[in-house]
Amino acid sequence: MLEIVTFSLLNGVVYGLLLFMVSSGLTLIFSLMGVLNFAHASMFMLGAYFSYQLGRWIGFWPALVIAPLLVGAIGAAVERYGLRHVHRQGHVAEILFTFGLAYLIVEAVVMGWGRNPIENRVPAVIDFPAFQLFGTSYPAYKALMMAISVGMFAFLYLAFRRTRVGLIIRAALSHPEMVSALGHDVPRIFVLVFAIGSALAGLAGVIGGFALLTEPNMAAALGPIVFVVVVVGGLGSISGAFIASMLIGIVQTFAVALDYSLLDLFNVLRVSLGRDSPFYELAAVKIAQAAPLIPYLLLVAMLIVRPRGLLGTREA
Amino acid sequence: MSSASPGSGSSQRGRLRRWASQQRAWLIAIAILIVLPHVPGLDGNFGRSLLSQMGIAAVFALSYNLLLGQTGLLSFGHAVYFGLGGYAAIHLMRAINGGLAIPMPLVPIAGAGAGLFFGMLFGALTTRRAGVVFALISLGIGELVFAAMRILQGFSGGEEGITANRGLGPHPFGLTLGPQLQVYYVIAFWSILSAALMAAFLRTPVGRMCNAVRDNPERAAFIGYDPVRVRFVAFSVAAMFAGLAGGLHALNYEIVAAEAVGAGRSGAVLLMAYIGGVHHFFGAVLGAITITWLQVSLSDYTTAWQLYLGLFFMAAVLFAPGGLSGLLSMHRPILRTRAFLDVLKTYAIAAVPMLIAAVGAIMLLEMNYRRATQPDAGARIRLFALDLDTSTPWPWLAAILLLAIGALLFRRTRPLVERAWERAGAEARSAGASSEAAG
Amino acid sequence: MSEAHESARSMLQLCDLHKRFGATPIIRGVSLDIREGERHAIIGPNGAGKSTLFNLISGLFSPSSGSIRLAGETIEGLAPFEIHRRGLARSFQVTNIFSRLSVYENIRCSVLWSLGYRYSFRHDVSKLRDANERTDRVLEQIGLAARRDVRAGILTYAEQRALEIGITIAGDARVILLDEPTAGMSRAEAARAVELIRSISSGRTLVIVEHDMGVVFDLADRISVLVYGEIVATDAPARIRENPTVQAAYLGTSLHA
Repeated sequence: MLEIVTFSLLNGVVYGLLLFMVSSGLTLIFSLMGVLNFAHASMFMLGAYFSYQLGRWIGFWPALVIAPLLVGAIGAAVERYGLRHVHRQGHVAEILFTFGLAYLIVEAVVMGWGRNPIENRVPAVIDFPAFQLFGTSYPAYKALMMAISVGMFAFLYLAFRRTRVGLIIRAALSHPEMVSALGHDVPRIFVLVFAIGSALAGLAGVIGGFALLTEPNMAAALGPIVFVVVVVGGLGSISGAFIASMLIGIVQTFAVALDYSLLDLFNVLRVSLGRDSPFYELAAVKIAQAAPLIPYLLLVAMLIVRPRGLLGTREA
Repeated sequence: MSSASPGSGSSQRGRLRRWASQQRAWLIAIAILIVLPHVPGLDGNFGRSLLSQMGIAAVFALSYNLLLGQTGLLSFGHAVYFGLGGYAAIHLMRAINGGLAIPMPLVPIAGAGAGLFFGMLFGALTTRRAGVVFALISLGIGELVFAAMRILQGFSGGEEGITANRGLGPHPFGLTLGPQLQVYYVIAFWSILSAALMAAFLRTPVGRMCNAVRDNPERAAFIGYDPVRVRFVAFSVAAMFAGLAGGLHALNYEIVAAEAVGAGRSGAVLLMAYIGGVHHFFGAVLGAITITWLQVSLSDYTTAWQLYLGLFFMAAVLFAPGGLSGLLSMHRPILRTRAFLDVLKTYAIAAVPMLIAAVGAIMLLEMNYRRATQPDAGARIRLFALDLDTSTPWPWLAAILLLAIGALLFRRTRPLVERAWERAGAEARSAGASSEAAG
Repeated sequence: MSEAHESARSMLQLCDLHKRFGATPIIRGVSLDIREGERHAIIGPNGAGKSTLFNLISGLFSPSSGSIRLAGETIEGLAPFEIHRRGLARSFQVTNIFSRLSVYENIRCSVLWSLGYRYSFRHDVSKLRDANERTDRVLEQIGLAARRDVRAGILTYAEQRALEIGITIAGDARVILLDEPTAGMSRAEAARAVELIRSISSGRTLVIVEHDMGVVFDLADRISVLVYGEIVATDAPARIRENPTVQAAYLGTSLHA
């Protein structure tokens, strides 16, 4: 029992950190530019594919560094050459642009690597047990994922708080006109933030590509969950995104381990539910089966109880 | 048009004639719908099937435009109401198959009812916010319902879906719904009725306020209307008609599966409404017809048809945000000018390099796509009635060359088009023909 | 010219109104009693909080403390649409119209609620005689009858300002708040606007924020001076002119327009 709890907790934390890595980039972009980047999860997918391909050519460790940079460059290009032309048409047009972009990126990936999941196996160099807990070993690559996530956040935190560029970006987050009036190139800052956000998602893709299936559908699988994180955490709040990510990551991971259903509860309470009752099917659903629903149930609950989200600041 | 002549009989006729001339467009549309399935080329099973599909898509897209174009609400989960309406309809069909004495043509009403119910249910939650948050929430609810449908297999049949027989039930007036022609007419009836009802809705006080809330929700509040309530009404009505479309879908295909509530279908209707044009009521119909036709016909020629649709969509977002109907109505002010013919001529001239570039681009895309998705099919590919060997560099070089030449030449022809437009615009303005009518 | 309505009942009453944004107080204890039928102007230097005051009254913000009463009824904390339904309408300093609707539609939407149509499904607006008649009348009043089918977004600036006023008065509200209605207008346009304001405010209570002193002294029965979120004086125009506190607040600005 304790074993299940501990491992679920560990895995939940890893998953939550992954979600946070992707959603923090999204929140950053949204806070600064008001753009909801539908293609953000696509950057995650590109990170996975690039690291796979680069890994085959130049090895894992260089790929770990280069793939996110490549994705960041693509993000910068998207903002500079695509999104910038759509800004003046309003937020709806911006969202639709990124929506179409996400679609096209999937097709580009299919053209590059085909429709089937690719063999993105954990590289041998990190494929060993990191430590033993309760007699079961915990894989090193997951520990590495955790380490990379935490390291990236520490680096970003310091960069934003201690460097001049970080200061300018933070100022532009709340007062873009003032920052522009002070002589800083706000469009350049937009490009930079878009690049950073995309690179973050790309890095998440590099390490997430091992844990999750690397296939053209992975962006569409992760994207909605990331959006839920952002709404539940509260638009524009990075701390909110963190809490929501960890919440969803841990709860969903725990749920997958729980093989119980309402029916089991009824049996324990000695309540009987006939097989032909219309609710039988609903009650027979196991929590593990319903796990994919959890983020969205959380979304609905949040909408009812606290529409602003946990720590919402910026309104649409 | 008609004069009110003395005598009650002729003034009644006068009123009828006045009404008919006002509703000219609708009457013409009805006439076209009646005649279409008998037009040569469309009078086979395939043609009538296609028309049926277009009818369903048109209702769905119109309902979506009620949200986006008329109320300013961008939804990524509209298929929820389409699919749930479809499920309600298919279960009703099964009940009819089992002996319930309701004629099949009335089944879409169940779809509408389910759409309305769930629209009000989810709408109460989601319309409190607008803009980006609304879009995200609609996505979340779409995923929720899709996942739920996959889990609740008894109700939804999961990925495989639920089936029914549209021919098995009471046959009023000999209507068996066996032949596709009969199904088409049922669909056409519901489609034109839905369109008329939606147009009528937009003329009601709350319908007008939908437009106002779209343009300026803050000001709408300051003239006495709760923007949240207006959005809720729009959402519920849109969901109802989406459900009706789902009911038509159930009738037509006799099967409803989880994909009917899925993200793909939500994306498809967004594509249709946007490419058709969100600024005009008719745009959604145009988009539905175009995209349905593309989906059906392109997939015969290429496996990359989704890619082409995506490119089409991006082109609309970047270059033609008003969609097809926007492009068409853009020409209205210059229609009567003499320079209009010149404009058309420059279009023809510019079309040539555009086609050349398109051929090159298509070659590249197709060759790449084939290589990536069907590696076992070999290196030979049949494009534009030519056999090409993609393992050699020649087809690739030819494609790149065509693309480059076409793009460069197109660049040169663009000023021609622009100048023709300037002349036409100036002529229209001086003729006073360009009084900007309300959108 | 209307006289001081000393005995008329209180139409709009602000009691010790405070508004803070974060830690910054913007409105610091404003009390005002505006009588029925009065034309009351609020003037003050930039940043005094005049627009914030309007936003408080019309429901865009909630006061941090204090109360607002409309004809005796408490309205602070209510949503803008609820306040409008009780008979208070406002215009905006930055033109706030329905840009994609025609001029006619702009006005017609503004008359709908007051005529009782609410969220009706059953009526076709083009056939509503009372709505269309009232719309035609308002269009005549604001001088835009000739431009009725033009899309509001492409009107000239002065036309948009006129439409802004039109939307505000179309609902037949008993209290009208006008936020710098003549901003950006030439002398001639402003004079026309003043005549319009005079005609639409007869029989109604008018509260107007203005910078143009000529307009203020021409129209107002009483003037309140708002400085740094506080009312420093409320009086008849002539006495305001001579008030030393007011003159100090407007140091350098001529009050003799």
